[in-house]
Amino acid sequence: MSELRRAAERVLLGNWTGRSTVPSHSLYPHHWSWDSAFIAIGLRHLSPRRAQVELESLFGAQWQDGRIPHISFSPSVPRDAYFPGPDFWQATTRGGVESSGIVQPPVHALAVWLTHQADEAESIRRGFLARMYPKLVAWHTYLRERRDLGGRGLVAVVHPWESGMDNSPAWDEALARVEPAPLHSFTRRDTDHASDDDRPTDLDYGRYVQLAATYRDHGYDDARTPFTFALEDPCFNALLIASEHALASIAEALSLDPSRHVTAAAELTSALTTLFHDGIFRPRDLRAGQPRAEDEQTTAGEQAAGRLVEVDTVAGLVPLIVPELPQAKELLATARGPKFRLGEVRMVPSYDLTGPAFEPGRYWRGPSWFNTAWLLHRGLVQRGEHQAEELADALRADVLELAGSTGFAEYVEPFTGEARGARDFSWTAALALDLLRPSRP
Amino acid sequence: MKIICQEQLLPGESLQEKWDFAVAAGYEGIELRGKGDLSFRDRLPELRQAKADGVVMPTVCVDMLHFFGAFDADQRADAVAQMKSQLSVIAELGGIGAQTPASYGMFSRRLPPFEPPRDEAGDREVLLDGLRQLGEHAASEGVELFLEPLNRYEDHMVNRLEQAAGLIQEVGLDAVRIGIDSYHMNIEEADPSAAITEFAAYVGHVQLSDSNRLQPGAGHLDWAAFLGALDAVGYDRYLAVECRLSGDPVEAVRSIPAVVRRYV
Repeated sequence: MSELRRAAERVLLGNWTGRSTVPSHSLYPHHWSWDSAFIAIGLRHLSPRRAQVELESLFGAQWQDGRIPHISFSPSVPRDAYFPGPDFWQATTRGGVESSGIVQPPVHALAVWLTHQADEAESIRRGFLARMYPKLVAWHTYLRERRDLGGRGLVAVVHPWESGMDNSPAWDEALARVEPAPLHSFTRRDTDHASDDDRPTDLDYGRYVQLAATYRDHGYDDARTPFTFALEDPCFNALLIASEHALASIAEALSLDPSRHVTAAAELTSALTTLFHDGIFRPRDLRAGQPRAEDEQTTAGEQAAGRLVEVDTVAGLVPLIVPELPQAKELLATARGPKFRLGEVRMVPSYDLTGPAFEPGRYWRGPSWFNTAWLLHRGLVQRGEHQAEELADALRADVLELAGSTGFAEYVEPFTGEARGARDFSWTAALALDLLRPSRP
Repeated sequence: MKIICQEQLLPGESLQEKWDFAVAAGYEGIELRGKGDLSFRDRLPELRQAKADGVVMPTVCVDMLHFFGAFDADQRADAVAQMKSQLSVIAELGGIGAQTPASYGMFSRRLPPFEPPRDEAGDREVLLDGLRQLGEHAASEGVELFLEPLNRYEDHMVNRLEQAAGLIQEVGLDAVRIGIDSYHMNIEEADPSAAITEFAAYVGHVQLSDSNRLQPGAGHLDWAAFLGALDAVGYDRYLAVECRLSGDPVEAVRSIPAVVRRYV
């Protein structure tokens, strides 16, 4: 295990750029939002100070409205190294940081709290929590006030990339309503360094570009943009709940009143219940029922209500990390059932193994990922029951074995454990490093 | 990794007294200081007795004012002779090697008159010649020579690990390695931890002091990242404390192992 620890440390040292960590030098040469949070969770064991700086740097790209952009662009990387790059997004913060305009799941408060815990003396010396707390509050306020597009108290994502699970089959139906940007209008860079078979298709990529361009062309104004894609994602909202709980802990550590965060967590947990169906959480498509050109008009009632997407993905299992989740027992049964076979296949597949869209090697359409395994592990440990602990131990062992055997792959084939995507992937190394430590909820 | 302390920092009259203090404070060895005029060799009776009494002395760090990279040919020749002798002595004591910079206090390109009397090619020739002689001698004694990069204000020739590694590659002797120093690296390396991982194969010895040359913990160096990098590359040799002390000197020396042990 010490060799695995050293190898993971070498990945994090190698991917460090001075102020932050790139997910992968080849594929992702900038600063990604939820990657950064997962990276800090492991980096805190190598250097608590670097983990703090990692998160502080990310929040250096925070917008006036509180949002944390999903990419903060490094000025030292060529402008065309990544698509869509800064010239596409055309978003610059008041501080002069070029960024994207969409967001990613809010794991940050949880990461801040865990980073603080890794070295409280260093955190207090640097004023880490006091500096981060108002920024985290602004971030959550943005999400809850500007992104509650369905009016149920849940946050909606307006682009598949905002879920972090870019090409999940859960987005297929909603994405099909989007007119793709013409293929000649952009040049993908993600396939320069990874196999085409592992990555999203060109047609999907054209739709991603169109959605982002529409948002951009409306000034990233959530009130003004005619979102054709708007879904309440269970993973995104579950992470917000976990982060509200973390914010309550942070507030207490700062001798502030934590009650607003406790209340927010309770409200969100209650609202999340509306996504539970058939033993799993499903995204609600707020635009379902709106007509495609070739479809018949649906009723106004359906349009207003939205509809749960009948596609089961790992995003629907992530709410297991929500403390005191009422549906935990049924959710665990689903995780162990034929769709995800927890304990029987490698880590946790990103999509229903029995589903029609299952592809074992393509990104979020089947492969198992290390961050979702880490989240489920955390959820299982929190349950504190014997059976859940056994599953947690087995999942932890699987994560560690795969991290080492794949050279810290971005994701793996769920039956064979074969490495896919980038290698020396930062969050894979970071989360392995975290799981090498004795677990604590 | 084993934490050791330079002898002049330890309280006590004799090496045996210093050793008792060192062990009680959590050190696992003493780094000796080698003065010129063959005085290190002349200490052999004292050093042999210390060894017989159980004192662990794995390394020696040169303590002179001229070095193998000197502008003056006679000084160079003397420095090489002194270092050869120090390598032989540390070998006899069962140690692993001797540490020296290319020069110290001789010239800085950052201070007037800015241009040294010898050009870069001349520097390189002198350094390669000295490293070859010392490396061959170290190899014959079964020990290593540790070349220490210093910061730009103390030496104008070897400031970064990359430069030291380049010289060592050209010399082509395994018995020449880099003796890194956290204080100098903090000034010269863009990312000390990244430099350690990049040149790990050449690192033979490590000296510790904080960003301000004081004892580890008294400055602002990120020790977790620095020592974490040494751990990440599997470095398993000595961490020698070479620093100035703030506060009560005895308490300062006593405090260091606990600071370092947090991370290794």
